[in-house]
Amino acid sequence: MSAVPEELRYTQEHEWVAIQESGTVRIGITDYAQRQLGDVVFTQLPEPGQRFATGDTIGEVESTKSVSEIYMPLAGEVLTRNTGLEDQPESLNEDPYGDGWMIEVRPDDPSELEGLLDAGEYAKLADNG
Amino acid sequence: MPIQYADGGVVAEHTAVREAVGVFDVSHLGKATVAGAGASDFVNACLTNDLGRIGPGQAQYTLCCAEDGGVVDDLIAYLVNDDEVFLVPNAANTAEVADRLRRVAPDGISVTDQHTDLAVLAVQGPRSRAVLEATGLPADLDYMAFVDVEHGGRRLRICRTGYTGEHGYELVVDSDGASDLFEALLAAAGEEGGRACGLGARDTLRTEMGYPLHGQDLSREISPLQGGARWAVGWRKDAFWGREALLGEKAEGPRRRLRALRATGRGIPRSGMPVLDGQGAVIGRTTSGTFSPSLRVGIALALVDSAAGVDLGAEVVVDVRGRPLPCEVVKPPFVPSHVR
Repeated sequence: MSAVPEELRYTQEHEWVAIQESGTVRIGITDYAQRQLGDVVFTQLPEPGQRFATGDTIGEVESTKSVSEIYMPLAGEVLTRNTGLEDQPESLNEDPYGDGWMIEVRPDDPSELEGLLDAGEYAKLADNG
Repeated sequence: MPIQYADGGVVAEHTAVREAVGVFDVSHLGKATVAGAGASDFVNACLTNDLGRIGPGQAQYTLCCAEDGGVVDDLIAYLVNDDEVFLVPNAANTAEVADRLRRVAPDGISVTDQHTDLAVLAVQGPRSRAVLEATGLPADLDYMAFVDVEHGGRRLRICRTGYTGEHGYELVVDSDGASDLFEALLAAAGEEGGRACGLGARDTLRTEMGYPLHGQDLSREISPLQGGARWAVGWRKDAFWGREALLGEKAEGPRRRLRALRATGRGIPRSGMPVLDGQGAVIGRTTSGTFSPSLRVGIALALVDSAAGVDLGAEVVVDVRGRPLPCEVVKPPFVPSHVR
């Protein structure tokens, strides 16, 4: 079974969104997603300062098996990215909700968070594959 | 064979083979026997490499070419004796290779497709010898040698061959005995820090060695001279399929050549990506590409136009889905071979 932490929000694209105290959000891929991908060997993440609309393709995660696109879960500006993944892409497999985080974003419209899946809804989605 | 085993993953399986041992079920490989008086002379007049270079009990990498020099398949030929040669082609090409041989086989020489009768298990890695010994099998074989033995009431062919670049063995066994043997080998491998390995690791291991994969780096459209397999052609032989075309191409020089590319930037080349020179002109295309678990960088094999004049050490660019990935042309293998 994949881990689905209660406190996070999720997307249909198997990404998670963590709301920080400052109002910014942290984004990554779920435990289910990293299992499907297999060994992650490369990530391409957006530059800080770039702005994206909801659903935009913002990067790539490549495993030994396949390449997957990363989508913007909610509109906003990229504040930082996890440069640690450049040297240690395996963090995405080992700690998808921790060291494997990908980017931090300032949402344009915080109410967009309401439209994301909660842990219960996402658990059902991941369960059904 | 799965791409990877559930408790493994390509990187863990790859590392097991490089550092300890991996056990593969490669029964998807084709198996065929050519038998009858003069079978080895017959095979030698068809396939490219020179069986005269080896003796009974030895195996050889060779090619089945079409008359135009294109590669129908690459295969291993096991010389049992003058009257029997065992062939291991690629699964998808076994019927084609067998048909081509059968069509011209003289009376008294038979070509038998044994694809479903036999299974092939590979034990590869520095600890492979210990695994065979623990399983009660002879392990003291020179590279590319093989021996037939009785084991548990079954006939087994043990070959010092493989597709990983490590010291290793391939075991040919009756299909109905394969499962027991696989379990026995796996148990012994476990004691040596090894594990079961799938197709994903098989591909990263062979790519690190620069070994071509038929259908990608060698094909009907890619000749042995282009695909870096000229060493597998017995140029002095009087006859083999494709001889005339290949001698012509050799005299002229191949119009493109398989090159080994090692990424100097971040990114992973995959097969079918354009290769560009410093000015952005397309000079070739990748035929295989992967992340090298040993080197932790992207590596590729690419057919590069001879006219581009690209040499070892040159920098080229692979177009990875629109992103330029700088690569250096290197001499394969990408990592040292330990087959001997």
